[in-house]
Amino acid sequence: MIIAFAFLASMTLLAALGVVLSRSVVHSALFMSASFLGVAGFFVMLNAPALAAFQVLIYVGAITVLILFGIMFTQRPQVRRFRLIINRQFWTGLAVMFGVGAFLAYTLNIQDWAGTEPGNGPREVAALGEILLGVNGAPPIFGLLFEVISVLLLVAIIAAIVISRRKTGEEVDRQGAEE
Amino acid sequence: MTPQVQQFLDTLNATIPLEGYLVVGAIMFAIGVWGALIRRNAVVVFMCIELTINAVNLSLVAFADYLPDAGGAGVGYAVLVIAVAAAEVAVGLAIALAVYRTRRTVNVDEVNLMKG
Repeated sequence: MIIAFAFLASMTLLAALGVVLSRSVVHSALFMSASFLGVAGFFVMLNAPALAAFQVLIYVGAITVLILFGIMFTQRPQVRRFRLIINRQFWTGLAVMFGVGAFLAYTLNIQDWAGTEPGNGPREVAALGEILLGVNGAPPIFGLLFEVISVLLLVAIIAAIVISRRKTGEEVDRQGAEE
Repeated sequence: MTPQVQQFLDTLNATIPLEGYLVVGAIMFAIGVWGALIRRNAVVVFMCIELTINAVNLSLVAFADYLPDAGGAGVGYAVLVIAVAAAEVAVGLAIALAVYRTRRTVNVDEVNLMKG
């Protein structure tokens, strides 16, 4: 347990630092997917294997590919000097990070975590499905949340299409497209 | 087997306390906030926001597994958070694409259309 935990924690946190500090945007995206893989490993350790599968499918697969496409569409070749990718707030941002970390550590410390034992999670997929539908003792609000999330995803898909499509009559910015 | 080796093996097999996961989630959240504050590229800012969302998910699932009275509801919330994050990154990248098409840059320092 300790070995797996240490491996996953170092992988997740080092990859997260890599996202922030790497000079190439593509490397940032690949570091991000490594970090998500580490979180999926944590989910397996926390008795939620179905959620780990969702994590690998959605984050490591879909969102990484989506972000790579976003990089492909929006990045010009650019100089990779460190001063240019990081703005002037480097030290202020570091101070804010330590502030947030200190606040979270304080909140963790004033709580009493005695009496918490692992193994209460919904290990079976059937139990997870019952929670998501709000039946069999799960909070009944989940049924409503499930429907709201479905509508939200539909609205987000339509919004993404509407925002990113070309207006009619807008020139096509493709090299060599004219005649 | 000597007692020292047995003790060492017991230490290796001990269950991780809840604080371990929470500390990892807190550090990951802080790193994500830092990145969202200091990077200039809008796509990298999105990646850092995804990191913070994942850190929160990790804490939710840890609570669902460790708290006896939670009934595992945190896993359900984590699924909902994943769906909201997917919607957010789809709309966010569409906005980045639209901004790039009009301004030819996704540098968040140069996109100052709403600056007063």
